[in-house]
Amino acid sequence: MLCEECRKQNAAVFLKLAVNNKVKELHLCPACAAKKGMSFGLESGAFNISDIVGNMSGYFKDFLPPERKTLRCGACGLKYSEFKESGRLGCPDCYAGFEPQLTELMARIHGSALHTGRAYADAPELKLSKAETARRLAELRAELRDAVTREDFEGAARLRDALKRLEGRRG
Amino acid sequence: MAEMIKSFRPYVTWANARGAWPDMIFSTRVRFARNLVGFPFPNRAEPRQLAEIRRQAMAAARDSGLFARGHFLKLEALGPLDKRFLVERHHVSHALAATVLAAGAAVSNDEDLSVMVNEEDHLRLQCLHSGFAIEGAFKAALKLDEALGRALPFAYGSRFGFLTACPTNTGTGMRVSCLAHLPALTRLGQMPQVLESLSHLGVTARGIYGEGTMVLGDFYQISNATCLGRTEEEFCQNIDRVIRNLIRQEIAAREALLKSPLKLRTEDAVYRALGLLRHARTLSYEEFMQNVSLVRMGAAMGWNMGHDFSTFNQVTLLMQPAHIQAAAGRELDPAERDAFRAELLRKKLA
Repeated sequence: MLCEECRKQNAAVFLKLAVNNKVKELHLCPACAAKKGMSFGLESGAFNISDIVGNMSGYFKDFLPPERKTLRCGACGLKYSEFKESGRLGCPDCYAGFEPQLTELMARIHGSALHTGRAYADAPELKLSKAETARRLAELRAELRDAVTREDFEGAARLRDALKRLEGRRG
Repeated sequence: MAEMIKSFRPYVTWANARGAWPDMIFSTRVRFARNLVGFPFPNRAEPRQLAEIRRQAMAAARDSGLFARGHFLKLEALGPLDKRFLVERHHVSHALAATVLAAGAAVSNDEDLSVMVNEEDHLRLQCLHSGFAIEGAFKAALKLDEALGRALPFAYGSRFGFLTACPTNTGTGMRVSCLAHLPALTRLGQMPQVLESLSHLGVTARGIYGEGTMVLGDFYQISNATCLGRTEEEFCQNIDRVIRNLIRQEIAAREALLKSPLKLRTEDAVYRALGLLRHARTLSYEEFMQNVSLVRMGAAMGWNMGHDFSTFNQVTLLMQPAHIQAAAGRELDPAERDAFRAELLRKKLA
């Protein structure tokens, strides 16, 4: 049997994977199997699945409504287009920034867009010790100076907001 | 040989085959994905933020009291063999093992509880129990979640619930999974239909080490496909129902294999596999898994395989590549490993 990848060498590696609830069988020559990026070697069972089923992000791309190009998270600066590409959000605040789009996506992925599980009530109010607050303030100020030097004004605006929030908490 | 591995137990309770349905359900796992307020998710966090997240997460785990005499690991301090060992123990995912910056893991003394730090999410908390044990594993995981949630501010919103880096985990952030051994259904060629039917029940099947891993020895990880819109208990009940149904199907498949004309062929395959495990002089991990699968099935059918499921589970854990090297006390190349594996197995099954 020929390798399903290069169709030149004889297949010597037989792999069985569970992908999207289907058992997928692959016959590869050793060279192609190695190229598939099995970082721990064959016997570890690790396999780069994206090579086989295509990138997961395609899944998001098809599902997500198109958006104006400039939409981005006000907290971490992640662009909506970047999220569509990677399928990964940048920070917890992205959920507020992209709420209408995510509501639609959630309904498609989970069949619902509303959490009905456990409420998280006893969240500690980000209580920081004085030393910790002072340390974080110093860090933020240093980052702000860096951002200004780099002329990264968007970044600087974000850092300024974060500084205000932290100072407000202290006050 | 790495000191880390020596500090771990030779064997773990979650593989002791004392839970319900040990012939079909190896172990049950409940995990929660959690993130901290005030930090980007790991893929967008700065190195010093990742270090800070790890510091806070490790401190919270220590203070919870659930990790007394446990392990607190910084992954960059570990060698490839140590990391591989942690993957084989299901405390660390392949993704975390490959993470370069500020990856961490806390593992409880009895190895039932673990926390992965800075994988896809800031925290992945998990509980592993032996056999079919959804309720017990859920309660223990919840206790860990609540303890850490009191110490750390988790990212949460009333609309979407617990906020995670990937929208597929948002909501409860919970994944309940059973490691199911389904050799009879596999032998009858029914797995494609079984897996197909699972997808209509809100359930996903993966390979033995989780997402993106191979199916070895007819083991499938069966877990909930969605996390949002139902309560944690409802997700648990759904998996519970699906697993009970799978158990019934596997039993029916065994009965079919025991009727003529299949009976002689089944018996022959099982005893040949037993002979191979007992007498081989060199044995790869895959070959071991294929054959131990048949031997487990033979034991489930009531035939005398010389040992019970606690031994089969133990060797299933011990025959993995890093465990083999740990038992040998040194690093071995694949050929040496296969020879050592066969030798160790002969002793265990003597």
